[in-house]
Amino acid sequence: MKAENFDYSKLPADAFELTNNDTSAHVDRNFASQNYWKDALVRFLRNKGAIFGLIMIAIIIFFAVFGPSMTPYTYESQIIEQQNLAPRIPGLEWLGFDGTETMRLGEVELEVNGYERGGFTDVYYWFGSDTLGRDIFTRVWEGTRISLYIAIVAVVIDILFGLSYGLISGYFGGKLDAVMQRCAEILNSIPNLVIVTLMILVLSPGLGAIIVALMITGWIPMSRIARAQMLKLKEQEFVLASKTLGASPMRIIFKEIMPNIIGQIITQTMFSIPHAIFTEAFLAFVGLGIPAPMASLGTLISDAYKNFTTHPYMILSPLIVLAFLMLSFNLVADGLRDALDPKQKDM
Amino acid sequence: MKKYIFKRVLYSVVAILVLLLLLFLMLDLMPGSPFNDDKLSAEQIEVLYQKYGLDDPFIIRYFRYLGNIIKGDFGVSYNIASNVPITDLLQTRVPTSIRLGGQAVLLGASIGLLLGLIAALKHNTVFDTIATIISVLGVSLPSYVFALALSYTLGYRAGWFPLLYDSASPFISSVLPTVALSMFSMANIARFTRTEMLEVLRSDYMLLAESKGISGPKLIIRHALRNALIPIITVLGPLIVNTMTGSLVIEKIFSIPGIGELMVRSIQQNDYNVTIALSFIYSLMYIGIMLVVDILYGIIDPRIRLSKEDSHES
Repeated sequence: MKAENFDYSKLPADAFELTNNDTSAHVDRNFASQNYWKDALVRFLRNKGAIFGLIMIAIIIFFAVFGPSMTPYTYESQIIEQQNLAPRIPGLEWLGFDGTETMRLGEVELEVNGYERGGFTDVYYWFGSDTLGRDIFTRVWEGTRISLYIAIVAVVIDILFGLSYGLISGYFGGKLDAVMQRCAEILNSIPNLVIVTLMILVLSPGLGAIIVALMITGWIPMSRIARAQMLKLKEQEFVLASKTLGASPMRIIFKEIMPNIIGQIITQTMFSIPHAIFTEAFLAFVGLGIPAPMASLGTLISDAYKNFTTHPYMILSPLIVLAFLMLSFNLVADGLRDALDPKQKDM
Repeated sequence: MKKYIFKRVLYSVVAILVLLLLLFLMLDLMPGSPFNDDKLSAEQIEVLYQKYGLDDPFIIRYFRYLGNIIKGDFGVSYNIASNVPITDLLQTRVPTSIRLGGQAVLLGASIGLLLGLIAALKHNTVFDTIATIISVLGVSLPSYVFALALSYTLGYRAGWFPLLYDSASPFISSVLPTVALSMFSMANIARFTRTEMLEVLRSDYMLLAESKGISGPKLIIRHALRNALIPIITVLGPLIVNTMTGSLVIEKIFSIPGIGELMVRSIQQNDYNVTIALSFIYSLMYIGIMLVVDILYGIIDPRIRLSKEDSHES
């Protein structure tokens, strides 16, 4: 029983031995914390639909920028003798783009080539020409510019109005929040369709009127998301710390809290783009679009719709571009949501 | 619960009053006056204004207008059918539109449900991919893309269905518009059913049900689908809005004599009275449906009710 009084401090240094000194304390690389944006990028790139959408948007933007200057025509130049010509593309005649179209007269179907009949040898309308002899290719890309322009406006409105409205309402809470939320709720309970129609009737149709109409209704979904996120974040410690250090409310809202919800903001903005493009196309179809000779995709479709059984190519190109534009933005928005906010359910 | 319903009803009423104020303001601000005959002298116009009470204060005119609307008097149409009361114009049109919208939602809901169910049960197979692609297309594309495509291929080329609506054969001629209008509902419900079903199929109570020996359709329908479908009310709102907006365009394309077509025509022909009356009817339907949806929501899921009440107070 000597060990009881054993003095451990008197042990020589070489009596000790290091254990587990090499490999056992390894760094966990599987679950290492990763940069949020790098992570999101990986998730986004894995999404085939989103990549497809991104490429389509790039192609459409390319043509919207350069398309109108690829042809000798402008969007308003008319050559009345060259009306109703079917698409003809040099080098692609064998694919069917040779300017022939099938006309149906009662039971008889006959092939007509407007170029040969009119004697236009060196004339090419890539997407055909419309009833007034204007080049559809130029007009389609000119119209796409307007749709993209409206997309940018939608984003700006979302950020300027929706985001600030939601953040401010959520941060201050109390009476201000109650009043702001009631206003938004009442505005939201009147259908968009009605508000937009009435606004445009009062303001007379045009790009300006469409933008005002979007301003009145487009920001509500964004403000809701911003407010919900704000309610979640404003009780957290870093906000309290900021407050204690004397930061102004505006600084806390826009510098401290906003960067934390940037993912949701980007996703919501992407969703509001197809919505805005759709609103414009819808208004054009109802007859509240951009006045001639300007053209948006919506007005092109609603004009060509009048004779879409006899000259289907006139409606085909704007319809396809619009469809791809809407689809691509939706796919990218879906991809961004899954990438930036993986916890959120796929709804 | 009572408090919640009361609040929701109150908001709806306020929304209707605000809407009516907007509509009235619009009528008031529109350029021109009802008496634009050159033969009338200034004194005569004044007499007419007095007779019809047009120089009364704003508030009095607003309440008179309110009273008329409540009585169902929207005034007369100017251009579309000269001097015909709008109520008469609406009589046959409202049922047509409601029937079309109802058909579209029903068709969309049933096919969407089926698609979503197949996609969830055959998760990560070709069926799933196809269903997903269909639902992405349906959600993204405006309904007139489908309407024009269907009407060109099945209507004009194949000649299976008439290109225009015909009230003599309301069923066959409403097939194409119904399908076109139902695409959004179908896609939305398919998407929704798929996500919810996947969630439910993974849950513990499904495992329990299976281990108790329940299998086949009974397991899927009784235990999985029923639970998956409770939150479907969340998609009803956007669905109805889209069907209403879509009906305007679809009714124009297929020239269906419904309120959507009338709305488009009134906009194009500047028949303000009709536009305003229809705006009111659309809003009323929308506000009513949203009210029902919100209340149902509160009944089914108490969490929503409580969190909404919380957010109202805070």
